[in-house]
Amino acid sequence: MQKSSLKRAFPALSRRQLLGGAAGLSAATMFPVTAWAQGSQLNVRVYTEPDEADPLDASGFGEAMLYGCIYRNLIQYVPGDTWDHQLDLAESIEQTSDTTIAFTLKEGQMWSDGYGEITAEDVAFTFQRNLDPEMNSRILPDIGPLARVEVTGSHSGVFHFDEPYAPFWTIALPYLAGAIMCKAAIEEAGGRIDTNVPPTVSGPYRVREQRPGERWVLDRNTDYTGDMPAEFERCDIVYIGDEAAAEIALEAGDLDFTEVSPGSVARLQDAAPANTDMSMHPSLFYVWVGMNLDNPKFEDIRVRQAIQNAINVDTILEAAWYDVAEPSTGIIAPGLIGHRPASMIPSEGDPQRARALLDEAGIDRLQVTLNVLNDVTFTTAAQVMQATMTEAGIDLMIEVHESGSFWTLGVEADGERWRDLELIMNRFSMLPDPSYATAWFTTEQIGDWNWERFSNEEFDRLHEEARTETDADRRDEMYRRAQDLMEESGAYRFITHGVTPNLYYTSVVPATRPDGLPLVQYFRRA
Amino acid sequence: MLQYTIQRIALALGIVFVAMSALFGVMIALPGDPTSVLLGPRATPEIRAMFRAQMGLDDPVLLQILRFWGRVLSGDLGTDFFRNRPVSEAVLNALPHTVALVFGAIFWSATLGILLGAFSADRRNSLLDRLTGVLSVAFIAAPSFVVALYSLLLFAVVLRWFPSIGAGEPGDILSRIHHLVLPSLAIGLAWVGYVARIVRASMLEAMNESFIRTARAFGLPRRRVTYNYALRVAILPAVQVLGVGIGGMLSSAVFAEIVFSRPGIGTLIYDSVSSRNYPVVMGSMLVAIGFFVTCALIADLINAALDPRHRTSR
Repeated sequence: MQKSSLKRAFPALSRRQLLGGAAGLSAATMFPVTAWAQGSQLNVRVYTEPDEADPLDASGFGEAMLYGCIYRNLIQYVPGDTWDHQLDLAESIEQTSDTTIAFTLKEGQMWSDGYGEITAEDVAFTFQRNLDPEMNSRILPDIGPLARVEVTGSHSGVFHFDEPYAPFWTIALPYLAGAIMCKAAIEEAGGRIDTNVPPTVSGPYRVREQRPGERWVLDRNTDYTGDMPAEFERCDIVYIGDEAAAEIALEAGDLDFTEVSPGSVARLQDAAPANTDMSMHPSLFYVWVGMNLDNPKFEDIRVRQAIQNAINVDTILEAAWYDVAEPSTGIIAPGLIGHRPASMIPSEGDPQRARALLDEAGIDRLQVTLNVLNDVTFTTAAQVMQATMTEAGIDLMIEVHESGSFWTLGVEADGERWRDLELIMNRFSMLPDPSYATAWFTTEQIGDWNWERFSNEEFDRLHEEARTETDADRRDEMYRRAQDLMEESGAYRFITHGVTPNLYYTSVVPATRPDGLPLVQYFRRA
Repeated sequence: MLQYTIQRIALALGIVFVAMSALFGVMIALPGDPTSVLLGPRATPEIRAMFRAQMGLDDPVLLQILRFWGRVLSGDLGTDFFRNRPVSEAVLNALPHTVALVFGAIFWSATLGILLGAFSADRRNSLLDRLTGVLSVAFIAAPSFVVALYSLLLFAVVLRWFPSIGAGEPGDILSRIHHLVLPSLAIGLAWVGYVARIVRASMLEAMNESFIRTARAFGLPRRRVTYNYALRVAILPAVQVLGVGIGGMLSSAVFAEIVFSRPGIGTLIYDSVSSRNYPVVMGSMLVAIGFFVTCALIADLINAALDPRHRTSR
C-alpha cells in the first residue's frame, strides 16, 4: 500500500518522539515568555499577614497597610519625613475644645457596589461600634476616652471625649480605628465583616481575593471618588515573613518594594540589583535591655547602674545592626513629641565606672542571665554584650527563646518564670504617639508587659497627665521626664530604635510614613 | 489481604491517636500564654478573658484532650478564635499546596531516581555508572533547604526562569506547575539519590533472574529486556521507600514553604506553634499526621498486594 502524500510529508511519530515533543512544549511554557505588563501590577511585601477585613479584629500594621488601600479615613498620614496628617474624607476637622473634635465630610464621596454616599452616620457608626462591649474590639484602646460621636448633619459630626486625648489625632484617626466603615453594609452583614472580601469599600483599591498565607489581591476600585485614584490596575500585598526571602523575591522581580534587613544594606549599597534604589528611615520601634527589679540580684541600685554602664551600645550597633542604626536616647523616637536629645549614660558606656560601682556594692564578679528572642540581630547583640561586659566584671549568660516562649517571659498569667527573670533584651513596636510608648511601663502593667516591674508614682502620673495634655511643649517636657525616671531607676539601658531600609525598583515611586512603613495607596509609577 | 488491610488501618488509627494526644500534652507544656502571644499588648482584660474561655485554657488538660477528640469525631477541627474562622477552613486552604509540593517531590524523585538507577544498572561499572553513584550520594547528602536556596538563587534570581515566591494563580494549572517546579525539586532531590541507588541494586538483582535469561534467549533487544522486564520488577522497592519518604518530605516542606514563601501546612503549623494558636496547631497537625499515615498505609497495602510475603512478615 502506498503512503499518502500527507504521511510522506509528516511521517508517523513514534511514541518516544511524541512524548519528547510534549515534554519540550511543556517545558517551553514554563519559561516566562511575557512578563506582566510593566506598571499594571504592584507587588509590595508586608512582614505580618493581614488577617481581617474588619478593623474591630485588626492586630497591627498588616491590616493598616490593607485598610489604607481599601478604606478611607477622615485624615491620613502624610507620606514623607515628618509626622503630619492630611485631609482625606474630611473637608475640615478641628479640635473645638479640650474634649470635642468637630468634622465636616466632603460631599459626594461614595461607597462602592451601590452603597451610596459616605455620611456622618458612617463615621459615627465606625467609632461607636468599638465602644460596644459585645463587639470585643481589639483596637478599643486606640480611641481612648471617646464617649460618643454626635451626628450634627448628614456630613458633619462631633467627637465627644470624657477627657482630653491628644493621641486621637495620631493613632486613632489616621490609623486602624479611623478606617471608616459603611454602616448599611456592616448591619447587613450582621454587625461584623466575617469574609475576606468586604461588601463595600471606599479606597482606591478593592479586594479581589485573599490567598491565606500568601497575599491579598486588590484591583483598582472603579467606584473611587477621592483625590488619589489607584495608579495600578492590580496591587498585591504579599506576605513574606522572612526578610531574606523578601530580598530574594525582589531581586527575582517578584516584588516591587520591600523592607530589607540592616545586614543587607552595605551589600545592596555596593551592588544593588539593576534599576533599584534604597531608602533609609529611622524606625519607631525601641530596643532596650531591662532588669527585673524584683530579682534580689538587682536590689542594689549600684548593681543596676553598673550593668547600664557596662553595656557598650556603639559596639552592639556596629555588630548587630551593621552600623546603620543610631543609639537611642529613650523609648520615643526622633521626630515625635517627647524624644530626648541625649541619654544620661553615653552610648559607648563606661566600663571603669561599672567596675567601680560593683566594687562599691562589694561584688567581685556578677553573673547575670540575659534573655533574648531567637532572632539573629538580638542573639548577635547579646553575644557582643557578653564579650564586652566581662571587662567590667560581669559574666553574662545568654538564654535564647523562640517567640511564643519569649513574649510571655514576664507575664504572670503564664506561670512563675517572671520570678527568675534577670535581664531581658526587648523590642516593642510603636505608633506615632509617645503615650503608646510609656503605656507599657506603668505600675498597672506589672505582671503584664512591664517585665522590669518598674513602679514609679511620678512616672504613672506623668503618663496619665501627658495623655490628656493638649499643649505640645508641655507634653514634650512630660515625656522626657518620664524617660529620665526610667533611666534613673537603673533598670533600663536604651539601645536603638533600629532602622527601616527599603529596597524598590525605580519604576515605582514609593510613599512611606516617616518610619519607612509603606503607604501603598500612594505608590505611583515613575 | 482483607485481614491484613483491617489490621493496618487499625494500626494507623492508633498511631494518629497516640501521636496527637502526645502532641497535645507537649503543646500545653510549652511556655507561652496564648492570649498574650496572640492578642498582644492592646488586648483588654475582657478580651483576654473571653479568649481564654473560648479556647478552654483554664479547663483540665484531660478535658481539653477529650473535648478535642469529641469534636474531631463529629468532623469539627475546632475554631481559630483569633481569626474567627473554622480551623478546617485554614487547613483546607493550606493542605492542597503541601500535597502538591509533596507529590511534586515524589514525581521528581520517582522519575529522575528511576531513570538514573536504571541507566546506572544498564551501564554497570562504566564511568557513567560511577558518576551516577557519586551524584546519588551527593543528592542524599545535600540538605533540602540548601538545595532550595541555591536553586532559588540560580533559577529565580539569576536566570529568572522560575518565580521565587507564591503558589501561582488560582485556576491556572500552568502557573501552579511553574511555581511548583523549584520547591518540589528542592524537596525531592535527596530522594532522587535514594531511589536511584535502590533501583540500581534491584535491577542488578533482577538481571540475574531466570525470566531475564529466558527473555534474552528469545532474542529480545537488550534495551527492551532491561527497561521493559527488569525495571518493572526493580521499581517495587522504590515504591516502599517513597511511601516512607513522605514523612521526610513533609518535614522538608516546611523549609521549602518558608524559602519560597508558599502557603502550606508546614508554615501554618510553624506560625500557629509560634503564636500558640492551639486550635490551629491541633487541627493542622491532625491533618498532617493523617496524611503521612495514610500514605504509609497505602504504600504498605500496595506492597502487600504485589508481594504476599509482606502480609505475613512480622
